[in-house]
Amino acid sequence: MSDGMYTGEPALEAYGLGMRYRRGWALRDCSFRLPAGRICGLVGPNGAGKTTLLSIAAHVLEPTHGSISLFGEAPGSVESGRRTAFLAQEKPLFKRFTVAETLRLGRELNPGWDQRAAEEIVRAGNVPFEAKINTLSGGQRTRVAIALAFGKRPELLLLDEPMSDLDPVVRHELMGTLLAEAAERGTTVLMSTHVLAELENVCDYLVVVSGGGVRLAGDVDELMSVHTLVTGAKEGEGMPAALGHHTLVEARTSGRQFTALIRPEGPVTGPWETDAPNMEELLLAYLRSPEAPPLITPTAQVQGHGQAHGAGAVAA
Amino acid sequence: MSTFTDTPTTNDSRNGTMDTITTEATRRPRLGGMTWLVWRQHRAAYWTILGAAVLSVAWMVYQRGQMVDFLDGIGYPGTGVDNTNEGFADYQNAMMAASTGLQAIPILLGVFLGAPLLAGDLENGTAKLVAAQSMSRTRWLATKLGLTALVIVVVTVTLSAVFDWWWSPVKSEITVMDWTSSSAFDTTGPVPVALTLFSVVAGVAIGVVLRRTLMAMVVTFGFLVVVEIVWSSCVLSLGNIITVTTNKGVMAENSFPSLPGNAYQLDDSYLTASGDLLGWSTCSGSASDQARELCLKKEGVVGWSVDYLPMSQMNGMQWFGASILFALTAGIVVFLFFWGRKRLV
Repeated sequence: MSDGMYTGEPALEAYGLGMRYRRGWALRDCSFRLPAGRICGLVGPNGAGKTTLLSIAAHVLEPTHGSISLFGEAPGSVESGRRTAFLAQEKPLFKRFTVAETLRLGRELNPGWDQRAAEEIVRAGNVPFEAKINTLSGGQRTRVAIALAFGKRPELLLLDEPMSDLDPVVRHELMGTLLAEAAERGTTVLMSTHVLAELENVCDYLVVVSGGGVRLAGDVDELMSVHTLVTGAKEGEGMPAALGHHTLVEARTSGRQFTALIRPEGPVTGPWETDAPNMEELLLAYLRSPEAPPLITPTAQVQGHGQAHGAGAVAA
Repeated sequence: MSTFTDTPTTNDSRNGTMDTITTEATRRPRLGGMTWLVWRQHRAAYWTILGAAVLSVAWMVYQRGQMVDFLDGIGYPGTGVDNTNEGFADYQNAMMAASTGLQAIPILLGVFLGAPLLAGDLENGTAKLVAAQSMSRTRWLATKLGLTALVIVVVTVTLSAVFDWWWSPVKSEITVMDWTSSSAFDTTGPVPVALTLFSVVAGVAIGVVLRRTLMAMVVTFGFLVVVEIVWSSCVLSLGNIITVTTNKGVMAENSFPSLPGNAYQLDDSYLTASGDLLGWSTCSGSASDQARELCLKKEGVVGWSVDYLPMSQMNGMQWFGASILFALTAGIVVFLFFWGRKRLV
C-alpha cells in the first residue's frame, strides 16, 4: 500500500517550514509530505501552529523559514491557486450577499467553477438561495462556505477547524457531505481539528503538530499497527524495566495499574495485556507527551530537492 | 432562486454557466469577474455617490439659470453686481453653499469610501475569502482601486466643470468669489479630482495599515484635516509671484501701481533708491504730511514695490498643485501594491 503512494504525486510537501513572530515561534521546522487523494487530519493543541500551517499553504501567510509546495508549485502561483481551496476558521463570507450571489462570486472568480456541485451542497441543507448570508445560522453559513470551496473543484482542500462551531447533528451531516464529495472527486483534504472524535472513521492520514514540530505523520493504518497499548500491574515507580527496550511514547499510572503506549521494537512479553490503541488513545498519548520521539512514516517523509532538512537551506 | 432553478442542469456544468451568461447579457450590460464582485460589494457607496452627484448637478444647473436671469434682468455687466448687492446676495449664498459642499467631498469620500475600502475586508476576513479564489490579489487590489477611482473621477470632474460654468458669468467679480480662496480654487479645474483621489487613496492606505474600519476612519479624518490645512497654506506658493515697482513716490494719489483685474495682492512695501524694501508703515507716525514726506525722503523712499498673483495664473497654479497631488497619489498606490503582495489578507 505505502509503496504505491511513494510514486504518486504528493499533494503537499513542507520543508522545514517555520513561522516566527515577534512574540516567538508559531510553527517551527515542520517537514512532512501528504500524498494525493488522502483525507488527512491535522491535529495539535491550541497554538500548535495548525492555522499557521494551513494559512501558509493557502498563501494567506508567507513563512519566515522553509517552504511548502502544492503539487510541486509554490503557494500563490496561478496553478496552485486554481487547484487549492481554503476554508478559513472564521468562514468569512460577504454578509450582505445572498447565497446565490455568494455562489456567483465563486463562478466569477474561478475558471473551473462547478455551479451544479455548489448548488447541490446548498440545496441539500435546504438553504434558501435568496437569503442574505447574515440571516443564516452558523451551520447554514458553514454549508455555503463549503459549497463555495467545493464549487471551485479543488484537488486539495484546506479546512481550518471546519466544524468547530456546529452542533453534533449538523456536524455529522456536513462531515458526511464533505467526505462524499471528496470521495467522488478524489480530492485531497487537509483538515485541522482538535475534536479527536471527529477524525475516527474520517481520516486515513494523520499529521500531529505540537511544540512547533511534527510529532506524528503517516497512514492511519500504519500508525496504528506500529503502536501497542500495554496495561498491567504497577511495579514501583515508572515503567517496568522489561519494557525498556521498546520506544515509549507515554506511560500513565492510575491506582495499581499502569498504561503505556509503546512502539514495540520486538515481541512484547510479560504479564501485561497488550492491545491495539484506537485513534483517540494514540493521539492523546502524543499530544500529552511532547518529548516522545516523533514518528514520521516513509510515505510522510519529504525527500530530495536538496532542501528537505534543516531550516537554513530553504530561505530562497 | 429563479436564476438558479432556470439554469439547465446538464452534466457539463460549463454549458450551464454559459447559458446563464448569455441570457443575462441579453437583458442588460453585465459586469463580470472581479469587477462584478467589487461593484456588488460597494454598490451602496457607489450609487450613493453617483446619485448625490446627479442631484447636485441638477441643483447647480437650476441655480445658475436663476442667477443668469437675475443678471440679465439688471443689465449685467453694464450694471455691476456691487450696486445691487441686496438682490444678488441670495445667488451668492447659493454659490457659497455649493462651494462648501464641494470642498467637503475629499474628506467625506476619504473617510467613508477610502478608509473602509480595504480595512473592512481585512477586519471581516473577506480578504481571505477573495485570496482563496483563483484570481490574484493584485488583480483584486487593482480592481478595487480602479473602480473607485473611476467613480471619483467621473463625479468630481463633472461637479468641478458644472461649478466652474456656474461661476463663469461672475468670474471677474472678486467680491462674489476670490479666486485664491479655497471656495474657488479647490472647487474648479483639476483640483477637486486631485484632492479627492489623494484623500481616498490615503484613506485606503491608512485602512490597510490599521486593519480596523472605525479606527481607520477616525485617523483618516484627522489626517485629511491636516492635509486641507497644509494645502490651503501652500496654494499661494504654487504661483509665480510678480513684483511691480514704481518710482513716482508714494504720497501722490496715483502713485500706487495699477494691477490687473482680480490680481491677488500678496505684499506691498516702499522701495528705496538703493533697492531696499521698507514696510508701508514707515513714517506713519509723522504728525503731518510734510513731516511724513520729509521722513520718507530721509529714508530714501522712491516708490512702491508690490507683489501679486494675476488671475491668469489660476489655471496653471491649479494644474501645478494637482500634479503634485497626483504624484503623491501614485506614490501611495505603489506602496499599496507592494504592501498588498505580502499583507493583504
